[in-house]
Amino acid sequence: MPRGLWTTTVGSFPKPPHLEKERNQFARGEISADDLRKLERDATIEVIRSQEEIGLDILVDGELYRGDMTTYFAELMDGFTISNPVRSYGNRYYRKPVATGPVRRTKPWTVDWWKFAQSQTKKPVKGMLTGPYTMMDWSFNEHYPSREALAMDLAEAIREEAMALVEAGATFIQVDEPAISVRPEELKLAVRALGRAVEGVNAKTITHICYGDFDVIYPALLDLPVDMIDLEMANSRYDLLDRFRKHRFTKEIGYGVLDVHSHRIETKEEIKQGILRGLEYLSPEQMYIDPDCGLKTRTVEEAREKLAVMVAAVREVREERGITA
Amino acid sequence: MKIETTLSGSFPKLPLEPGAPNVRVIRNRMDQGKASEKDLAEATRETTRRIVALQESAGVDIPMGGQVAWDDAQTYFARGVAGFTIAGLIRYLDTNTYYRQPEITSPVSWTQPVTVESYRMAQGMAHRPLKAFLPGPYSLYRFSRDLHYKDPKDALAKVGEAVAREAKALEDQGAEWIHFEEPWLGRARSEEAALVTAALTPLFRGRKAKTVLHVPFRSPGAVFGAIRDLPWTVLGLDLVESPEAWELLAKVPAGRTVGLGLVDARNTRLEDPARVAKEVERARSERPDLGWQLCTTASLEYLPVDRAAMKVARLTEAARLASGNGG
Repeated sequence: MPRGLWTTTVGSFPKPPHLEKERNQFARGEISADDLRKLERDATIEVIRSQEEIGLDILVDGELYRGDMTTYFAELMDGFTISNPVRSYGNRYYRKPVATGPVRRTKPWTVDWWKFAQSQTKKPVKGMLTGPYTMMDWSFNEHYPSREALAMDLAEAIREEAMALVEAGATFIQVDEPAISVRPEELKLAVRALGRAVEGVNAKTITHICYGDFDVIYPALLDLPVDMIDLEMANSRYDLLDRFRKHRFTKEIGYGVLDVHSHRIETKEEIKQGILRGLEYLSPEQMYIDPDCGLKTRTVEEAREKLAVMVAAVREVREERGITA
Repeated sequence: MKIETTLSGSFPKLPLEPGAPNVRVIRNRMDQGKASEKDLAEATRETTRRIVALQESAGVDIPMGGQVAWDDAQTYFARGVAGFTIAGLIRYLDTNTYYRQPEITSPVSWTQPVTVESYRMAQGMAHRPLKAFLPGPYSLYRFSRDLHYKDPKDALAKVGEAVAREAKALEDQGAEWIHFEEPWLGRARSEEAALVTAALTPLFRGRKAKTVLHVPFRSPGAVFGAIRDLPWTVLGLDLVESPEAWELLAKVPAGRTVGLGLVDARNTRLEDPARVAKEVERARSERPDLGWQLCTTASLEYLPVDRAAMKVARLTEAARLASGNGG
């Protein structure tokens, strides 16, 4: 009986409204770092419980203690300062890292959080990091002579953290590279930097990539030196499958079936159809079913409902196709 | 010879000084039901006033209004043009910023001015003629999803016509300069030259205002033949992100003007004005038969406001040095 169609998520979960409020209180100096940390730990326990109740196979810590996916890491590193707010869209702003000196990892970034999350469950919890290419691309650079130089120094730092996570017991290490797909001409640099970040990392390695110019970067994308590439499939109405038909997808795939930009809860049937279409070009052993991207932009309820439908759809496909987890 | 300076698009909306009118705060308060549209309009006016004043006090020759009411470079305009609807958020090229994707769902047609009122408001605060901003039609089309037209050439001609009508409306309100933003020209392939021509030709028909055709990010080398001889007043190039755009200077017809995008709008690293002035001198010595402007490579909204203000100061200082007034 074939195995496969494991279920997981891409990383972030929505912060419960009370935690958003408490993070703001912390920013205004109204509560202490210890107070906030306790609240974040409580919320993380909730996220782990929720994933177990939904029945996901591979869990995440939910990243409730992180703000932005680059700034969180940059704040913990030497060589970065953080800019004043920059607008990303409409009324949304974020503070961007600025490389002002050699970037270095001087202490663990996520290991304690990973240990804490893993201590709450028997299921595997993924170690979640942002990749060197994305960290470089989403930072200002006032120090390095080139984008490559910054990316490769970041790769060294990220590798140290990945090694530390494995030493702590992580068996899945995800190094997200959402920026890779937008500059196809730099794919080789991204491959080299990610390769260094996961070199010698004794775990299943994953990278998440957002939708981009796949006409240009596929199949070269398969050169990324990781075991699994996680892709937005639903957002593009599964049109990536047409490319897989022309050139076989040779790695394991994180197969996104939930549109994380929409409030609408997908139907079980449409998710099943998406998975079944994937099984025309991919084996069940290759496929890890998950949302298109992180869930942090959804509400807690939306995220939970979407994931519950996803797991139900996977169970039905497994049953119909005789696939076990 | 004086080198004129200008910006290339929007300016950060947040204030430099704490406590100053802040559209971000007002919009957050509106979400909580604690502020009104009137409050937002007032904050937008005050923010525009600040942005215009900052440029004028720095000595920018051709300031812009900052596009305070725009969420991105396309949808503010597309929303007001018949035929477009506005869909979900997607990433804006290779930047870590987003825009709402316009969708063409019926025939594109300009029915009324879209940007004129906000232009007039900004111009009323300025002591010099402001440069108006419009999305270029080729890029507006490429940023959009076409669910209506069968032939992109037909669609591009209609989008070009709509942008041209808006440009005419701006002219009628006294706009002396109009900036057309065309990032997609740097991504167009040579076989798309005819499409570029279809889109851009209507822009310059009967145009009285001076025009800037600005190509941020990448060099438009592949379709340069299609844009070289169009009657733009200034062709703006991004020489930081795409140093290969330097090669185009040799191909610009004699007597035309090039906007040298030498102040990087996407990195906080501050330019040395003397080095920028040297780059201007390099261009001038390579092509003594061309006119020159000095500009930012792109919209300064990719930067935090403090750095954006410093960049404006560096821009004008570099132009002063390049103009031979550096002492």
